[in-house]
Amino acid sequence: MKRLVFEGLIIILLFFGTWFALNQIDWIKIFKVQKVTDTTEQKLGELFWDFFKKSEDEISDKNVIEPVSEIVAYISKANKINRDKIKVHVLNNDNINAFALPGGHLIIYTGLISKCDNEGELSGVICHEIAHIELNHVMKKLITEIGLSVLISITTGSGGADVIKEAVKLLSSTAFDRSLEKEADIKAVDYLIEAKLNPELFAAFLFKHSDNENEAANYWSWISTHPDSKERSEYILDYSKDKLTEFKPILTPKQWGSLKVASAVTE
Amino acid sequence: MIQIKHFSYSPGEHETEAASGSYLMSLIAIIVGLPLPIINLLATLIFYLGNKKSTYFVRWHCTQALLSQLTMLFINSYGFWWTISIMFTEESITGKYIAYMIAAIIFILTEFIATIYTAIQTRKGIHVEWWFYGSLTNLICKSKS
Repeated sequence: MKRLVFEGLIIILLFFGTWFALNQIDWIKIFKVQKVTDTTEQKLGELFWDFFKKSEDEISDKNVIEPVSEIVAYISKANKINRDKIKVHVLNNDNINAFALPGGHLIIYTGLISKCDNEGELSGVICHEIAHIELNHVMKKLITEIGLSVLISITTGSGGADVIKEAVKLLSSTAFDRSLEKEADIKAVDYLIEAKLNPELFAAFLFKHSDNENEAANYWSWISTHPDSKERSEYILDYSKDKLTEFKPILTPKQWGSLKVASAVTE
Repeated sequence: MIQIKHFSYSPGEHETEAASGSYLMSLIAIIVGLPLPIINLLATLIFYLGNKKSTYFVRWHCTQALLSQLTMLFINSYGFWWTISIMFTEESITGKYIAYMIAAIIFILTEFIATIYTAIQTRKGIHVEWWFYGSLTNLICKSKS
């Protein structure tokens, strides 16, 4: 019996030992797994962005693009995020919405900009979306909801336009699951603090518009797809309580004013 | 890992054929059932049940073939469900996963080679006992006499 147990243990040890030894090799690098995954994500991002480019009106007004890009660049620099990775697009749409696509595409609707009372609120939403990009939530959501095989078929051209439409709808009008949303909120607070921006303004934005959650919310996509805004604003305030420091604006009042005017005009 | 031992009696022609068949059955099952690991076990189990009332030599080898499939079932099932979770959930391919799959392939191949060797030897009437599985079979499978 002792011999049997000993032999059984040797077999188990042999298997786990082999696994452990093989685990010391960087297989991801050898098989270029990361490269393949990144290429798929980039291709998906381009395809999805093409869909928006064709169906919606992209803003090219300097008064809108420059301040938004400046906010993104400032946040990226403060948080050591590769600025080139984030591709910001502002679309002329009165829907109050912002969302991330694969490949670092960040879509912001003019409707959202015009509903923000200050740059802190807009920065909060931008930080939240950058957090989704940085934490790889976009690809995780797509793989969970659509499946890796379908996503790969889209990139190879064998996926139909309907699948792209469905995926785009999924990303622009549905929320991530609660834990991912919370993770993105907390990360957004970290980004805001690093960039010396006040997270209380982000919490205030959520709180202020939480009443719109229960309405049909045709225009309040960002709020209606991000439920429990009151609860979110509470934990954001709670998390940022001890981390508050001195704050510094990114844009001049003139720049912010031009941005608001330009986004309101284009709506 | 594999030992040739003397069996308590010399098996007849029909016995060596049936005993060798149990290993061949698991070999075919490995080829057919690789994507679905449960098939290996089911095929060997059916063959085992079919020969349950057979002679000691046949029963002994059917048991050894069945037991060896059980370990493979655990290794393959874990790898199978891990792969499924990568394909359909948010799980991604990691170095740990690739290392596991390579370790599993090494074990499956070793078992495959050992099974072919044992099937040939058993057909010749030579009694082959595997490391661990041989001892375990001796514990489970007893001579009726």
